[in-house]
Amino acid sequence: MRTPVAYFLVVSAALFTIGTVGVLVRRNALVMFMSVELQLNGVNLALVAFSRLHGDLTGQVLTFFSLVVAAAEVVVGLAIIVSVFRRRRTANVDDLAELRW
Amino acid sequence: MVALDLVWLVPTLPLAGAAVLLFAGRRLGRLAGWLATATVAASAALAVGIAARLLDLPEAERTRVVHLFEWIRAGSFRAAAELRVDPLSVTMVLVVTVVGALIHLYSIGYMAEDPRIGRFFAYLNLFVGFMLLLVLAENLLLLYVGWEGVGLCSYLLIGFWFERPSAAAAAKKAFVTTRVGDTALLVGIALVFFRLGSLDLSRVLDPAVAALQPSGVFTIIALLLFAGAVGKSAQVPLHVWLPDAMEGPTPVSALIHAATMVTAGVYLVVRTHVLFELSGVALTVVLVVGLVTALYAALSAIGQDDAKRVLAYSTISQLGYMFVAAGMRAYAVAMFMLVAHAAYKALLFLAAGSVMHGTEQETDLQRLGGLWRRMPWTAATMAAGALSLAGVLGLAGFFAKDEILAVASGTGRGAVWALGTLGAFCSALYIGRLVSLALLGRPRSDRALHAHESPPVMLLPLAVLAAGALGLGVLMTDPRTGTLPAFLAPVLGEVPHGEAGLPKGVLVALSQVTALGGLGLAWYLYGSGRVEWLALRERLAGVQRLLAHGMYVDDLYAAAVDRPLRAAAAALAWVVDARWVDGLGNGVGRLTQALAGAGRRVQTGLVRTYALAFLLGAAVLLVYVGVRR
Repeated sequence: MRTPVAYFLVVSAALFTIGTVGVLVRRNALVMFMSVELQLNGVNLALVAFSRLHGDLTGQVLTFFSLVVAAAEVVVGLAIIVSVFRRRRTANVDDLAELRW
Repeated sequence: MVALDLVWLVPTLPLAGAAVLLFAGRRLGRLAGWLATATVAASAALAVGIAARLLDLPEAERTRVVHLFEWIRAGSFRAAAELRVDPLSVTMVLVVTVVGALIHLYSIGYMAEDPRIGRFFAYLNLFVGFMLLLVLAENLLLLYVGWEGVGLCSYLLIGFWFERPSAAAAAKKAFVTTRVGDTALLVGIALVFFRLGSLDLSRVLDPAVAALQPSGVFTIIALLLFAGAVGKSAQVPLHVWLPDAMEGPTPVSALIHAATMVTAGVYLVVRTHVLFELSGVALTVVLVVGLVTALYAALSAIGQDDAKRVLAYSTISQLGYMFVAAGMRAYAVAMFMLVAHAAYKALLFLAAGSVMHGTEQETDLQRLGGLWRRMPWTAATMAAGALSLAGVLGLAGFFAKDEILAVASGTGRGAVWALGTLGAFCSALYIGRLVSLALLGRPRSDRALHAHESPPVMLLPLAVLAAGALGLGVLMTDPRTGTLPAFLAPVLGEVPHGEAGLPKGVLVALSQVTALGGLGLAWYLYGSGRVEWLALRERLAGVQRLLAHGMYVDDLYAAAVDRPLRAAAAALAWVVDARWVDGLGNGVGRLTQALAGAGRRVQTGLVRTYALAFLLGAAVLLVYVGVRR
């Protein structure tokens, strides 16, 4: 018997919500980054689940794209965070608020 | 024998001279004057040839339109660069080139010491070129080009010594004042096009036009054209620029402000007389304006102490007489007066210039005197010009003025005759005063005492013009059969005549009484030494001031036009511009600033705020997409 798609969606929504809350409430840039990854993977999971439900591979292909783009994004993002940390000795995003009015 | 088609060379030669002098004038030095004189003299020779050719042709064939090139073609509007050769234009060309050449020659001596002599002759040549274009133009638009061109040259030459603020101001005044008339002229030309469908003089002078019903449109057209003439010919009420124009070098006053440019207005009225005759009113307006001007300026001339200003007012007055003649349809008489006036007034100006040359630029009559001993040639020629202007029997001025008064009397215009005679008396008085104060009596200053005669290059033109001032009357021995009236008759028609008024012999006797009486009175008061004229002047101080200020017309304009305009401008500047216009601009700026000041608060710089905004935005989008389904 196949696992109903709703199960996957619940896990997916949970992952996305945890990620969202993480992005909104955490101050450490690294943790926020990890939270973003959680959101992404939540969405990926939903894509794969629907792909299987419809018997259409498009969703899975899109997931691969998403993974690749996320990997690239991590490279750039981590590099920025490291370089900011070297300069400012902090990864607290609330301290990095110079770009404002 | 010169072919009439060569007429295009007549204006082109001086224009080419101007072009050369504008670029190479400084390098040519004194040669510039000779080059400029040569171009105008060549034009004069050509003009003489053309006139001779014209006289050989039968009367009916004496009008030729020479096509040069297509100029403007736009819709139904067509203007070609064409020159009109007919007795009237050739007469004007002769005046302009011959007097122009003489004045060029004179200027070589007069301007010899001036460092900007090259530029002077370039302007002078340019002026002659434009003036010839004006009188030769077949198309009214081309005429207008010449009209504006001579105005420009007048401006440049009045302000030639622009280091003097008074000269710069006089140039500006002349330009702006004549511009009033020029604008009216342009509107009038446009109306001619709308009414007749063409600006060609052949169309305007077409007998079919003359046969049209007189109507209000033609009154408006004629009055607008006349307004242009009033500005250019310094008639009341636009005369105020001419006395001030004496700030220019004296040859300029002689050429532009006596002999040629200021007569362009008379030429315009005579040229387009067909349009004036189609209006019942316009000719009367011309007559009245001319008469008022003639009297007003003759009176004002009596009160002037500056020799050149006497002559300037005299010119205004004489131009008034020409308009009086034109207003009575005696166009040929107006043209003869124009020719004679060009000779004797240019002569008087050049003689005054010679006096200035010999006395370190002294023009104040109170500081001259006794010059006939030291400058006999200048004095003799000046006296010849003065006698001619006063209208002494047999001289050119006599035939001109006398004929105008005879027409006035003969056609039953008694009032015109009486006022004209009064003006003639004043003319004799002011010119007699000028001659008496400048030439007779004792020198009243060191400069007058040490005066010296001018060089031959200046005296030769004086002698030639003096011959003209004395002898040009041979062209006008009779208003109908004389040489000039007969020559002009095919274009201008016959001079009107009538048997009303006094018989001819009495008129001549009366005119001699006024002329000799005026001269005699002037000599008695100013030349004989029997009257303390300075004391007399004190006693009549009020009258003297009134006349010296030209009856305060300048002050009237200052009060009625200048000051209200300045006040209005100040009001506009302080209220409308500073408050409203600037307020609008500043208001928009301030509003933008305020909006931006409020809007920039959104940019907190806190990443988590932005993330929240993302989330909310995405949620809103999601809801929107859901709802739209």
